[in-house]
Amino acid sequence: MSSRLQAEHLYKVFGRRPDDAVERIRKGADREELREDGVTAAVIDASFSVAPGEIFVVMGLSGSGKSTLLRMLNGLLEPTSGRVSFDGRDLTALDDRELREVRARKISMVFQHFALFPHRSVRENAAYGLEVQGVPRAERERRADEALALCGLAGWESSWPDELSGGMQQRVGLARALATDADLLLMDESFSALDPLIRRDMQDQLLELQKTLKKTIVFITHDLNEAMRLGDRIAVMRDGRIVQTGTAEDILLRPADDYVASFTKDVDRSRVLTAESVMDTEVRGDEADCGCETADPATPFTQLCALSARLSHPVAVVAGGEGEGGERRLVGVVPRQRLVGFLGGRPGTEGGEPVPCDRPGDARGEKVISRA
Amino acid sequence: MPRIHLGDRVDDGVSWLVDHMSWLFDAIKTVVEGMYDGVDAVLGAPSPLLMAGILAVLAWWLRGLAAGVLTFAGFALIDSLALWDRSMSTLSLVLVATVIALVIGVPVGIWAARSKTVSSVVRPVLDLLQTMPSMVLLIPAILFFGLGVPAGVIATLIFAIAPGVRMTELGIRQVDAELVEAAEAFGTSPRNTLLRVQLPLALPTIMAGVNQVIMLGLSMVVIAGMVGTGGLGGAVNESIGQLDIGLGFESGLGIVILAIYLDRVTGALGTQLSPLGRRAAARARAAGGTKAWEHRPRPAVAVVGVVVLALVAGGMGIFGSSSSGSVQASDGDIGHGKKIGIGYIPWDEGIATTFLWKEILQERGFEVTTSQYTAGPLYTGLAAGQIDFQTDSWLPTTHAEYWKKYGKQLDDLGSWYGPTSLELAVPAYVKDVESLADLKEHASEFDGRIVGIEPSAGEMGLLKSKILKAYGLDGTFKVVDGSTPAMLAELKRAYAKKEPIVVPLWSPHWAYNNFDLRKLKDPKGAWGKGDDVHVLARKGFTEDNPVVGKWLKNFSMTEKQLTSLEAEIQKVDKGQERDAIRAWLKKNPGQLDKWAPVGDAKTE
Repeated sequence: MSSRLQAEHLYKVFGRRPDDAVERIRKGADREELREDGVTAAVIDASFSVAPGEIFVVMGLSGSGKSTLLRMLNGLLEPTSGRVSFDGRDLTALDDRELREVRARKISMVFQHFALFPHRSVRENAAYGLEVQGVPRAERERRADEALALCGLAGWESSWPDELSGGMQQRVGLARALATDADLLLMDESFSALDPLIRRDMQDQLLELQKTLKKTIVFITHDLNEAMRLGDRIAVMRDGRIVQTGTAEDILLRPADDYVASFTKDVDRSRVLTAESVMDTEVRGDEADCGCETADPATPFTQLCALSARLSHPVAVVAGGEGEGGERRLVGVVPRQRLVGFLGGRPGTEGGEPVPCDRPGDARGEKVISRA
Repeated sequence: MPRIHLGDRVDDGVSWLVDHMSWLFDAIKTVVEGMYDGVDAVLGAPSPLLMAGILAVLAWWLRGLAAGVLTFAGFALIDSLALWDRSMSTLSLVLVATVIALVIGVPVGIWAARSKTVSSVVRPVLDLLQTMPSMVLLIPAILFFGLGVPAGVIATLIFAIAPGVRMTELGIRQVDAELVEAAEAFGTSPRNTLLRVQLPLALPTIMAGVNQVIMLGLSMVVIAGMVGTGGLGGAVNESIGQLDIGLGFESGLGIVILAIYLDRVTGALGTQLSPLGRRAAARARAAGGTKAWEHRPRPAVAVVGVVVLALVAGGMGIFGSSSSGSVQASDGDIGHGKKIGIGYIPWDEGIATTFLWKEILQERGFEVTTSQYTAGPLYTGLAAGQIDFQTDSWLPTTHAEYWKKYGKQLDDLGSWYGPTSLELAVPAYVKDVESLADLKEHASEFDGRIVGIEPSAGEMGLLKSKILKAYGLDGTFKVVDGSTPAMLAELKRAYAKKEPIVVPLWSPHWAYNNFDLRKLKDPKGAWGKGDDVHVLARKGFTEDNPVVGKWLKNFSMTEKQLTSLEAEIQKVDKGQERDAIRAWLKKNPGQLDKWAPVGDAKTE
């Protein structure tokens, strides 16, 4: 089975008689209706699965239930209904002691506001999870120092959290989560409290670490750009429900509804789109024969633009080859018009040929005064 | 509205508890007494300056050199005010009460922090404990635990426990929820979350609570002194009763020194104990560098210092003891070391006769302890058999209420002085007011005010119910409730400024010696017949001590004897009453044998 973490029909309802509320929601009652009775449905019928080594991002605005969802994954909150299974074990069936054991060894967590213990040094913070497991002092300090070094904090072990900048504090938070060798990392808006440059740094570092560590990560964010950057797959939440699950491109190019589409408006498409997602797959077959530069399907959008500017004809997208002696095959073409269209946020413009201008000569006759 | 007889229920409940739960109260009493005796023995063992040294080293270690020096100076001052023993017993009382308050308060606070239900139940209980006037709780405490230290400790504890609970709850609730969640997310058990995260982070707040507990405990010391805990509280009560401003100030100062010491030391302890506090202190040191007066010895040095001083103290205790004790056995040794406890109210004739009888009985081979109370606790203690006898019961009027409540449990050994009289008195410089009948037309001179004493006093009852009516003063005069010391202070103030004042007084009273006062005549006889001063003993005392019983029954004093004895006592300092009694007995040879005839006992 390829999924490591699986959530099946999770519900979380706060308030009186939550089970009744779940029943009412299943029968079609909506959230507002329940709220009038003082019952809050935080998460409604959430199902997804996360593959080993995958970064799964849950994206939603505040109040969408994403943090509640995350806390059900490690049992900090008990689902009102539904199942969470991890490595084939049903977490919802465990008792408190077993659940604590799983949290200590298998699942660790990184918090929005770092949640470092102010009365412990950086090393003691990083070693906290190991201390809970009962690892002897010498070993846990060694492993804590390793984790700190991994996060770029070598030399800061004996400092105190309040002496570090926000970014460094979150590195300590990350090191604390990594030190336990847990397979599953839950990250709750972990980079949201950092300023943009540091946030970018931390994202890069997480991706870098992930290349070697191959953890399974569930990452919560309200920032779609961050979601697109980090997520192998993204779940978009709205009002307690998951409205769409898919890759960054799926979300961007094939939004499930207007809500998701409105979300994607402000996204910097050039970072997400690749040649594969913008190319026109209807090809004649000879476009790559001219010996000009070509793109491959993974070529980022910005590079594609640069390429297109240098060519007088559409860019050919060629797959395969790559030094393995495989057969190079033309898979699509990207006309310049199409590039501009995607950038403008109209992903559905396939075949949208330019409309001819009916009075091209007028531009000269009635002088348009343009002042840029 | 129907009258709800809540008070009766409480009364019944208290009696039921006294009857059925005495084993529990006795157990608590034993524990508290044991703790107190232990702490007091340790604190009182070394010679005062040595103990001051030990306390100073502690302060030096926790706060710095200046604090150490000031501590030594403060405690040396206490010693030179001759208040050392009293201070140490007060310190012991406060420490024991604090420890018990924390042992109960911190866990309750933790529990309250974890459960909303507990919190909402505990809060009103704390309000009750903290705001219910302490005297109201004091009398039941005496019924349950008897007079003396345990009742004092319990009363202090009840009053002081609230901040311990509240600050613990607050401290734990204040810990950032994300930190607690982080601990849980790493699989920490609830117990370890408490020990590793919540308590360390709540510690500064909890220590502030400890500090408050101690301070409130010290402020309760005076009230606890009313139930015979002795110490500085007892000294304050004594001085209030006798309007001795000097002694009052001295003992008050003693309490202040203890308070400041305990406050600073616990504050510093909080910093030392909590990791956050240590960290802040270290940072401050790194930033500012240390000054000479902030120098602190290393912990090891401090511990060695304390141990050495304590060993010296212990050694001196061993060699220095066995100097006192051993009552001289004369031919009149009838008591053979039998113990007798006398209780007294700090009224002059009470003090005089109590110390007189202490001397007589010691002379006859008894071991006598005396303790001072206010009237309520004195009667309660006597009825419960914790006091053997007291010499200053004004019957049938002044102490009528107490007699009504406890008379059945007491033995009246007859009067030794009488009749006394109750009266209204004015300073001699007030003209034209000779009798109660004259008051009405002079009402405006006195602002229509009679400066009264405790509303519970028998004299006040008579004054309000009979005198005002008999002389038609009902509309024109208002009786101001207050207390005897307040009345006397007001009298003293008015007297100094020669302002008109009218106060209730009684004879004998030292005020007649100190001020030139005029007793107002009572032509209608509304005050009734005067009281006699009785000796009251607990039930069974005369059976246990037939000889002493007989002596007390035959005891009587003339006005001349009493006033000359009182005058002798006025001449000496507090605590030196014995010298005054001896001097008086020397001037009245043969009187001792007359009051406590040895032959009498031998023939029995």
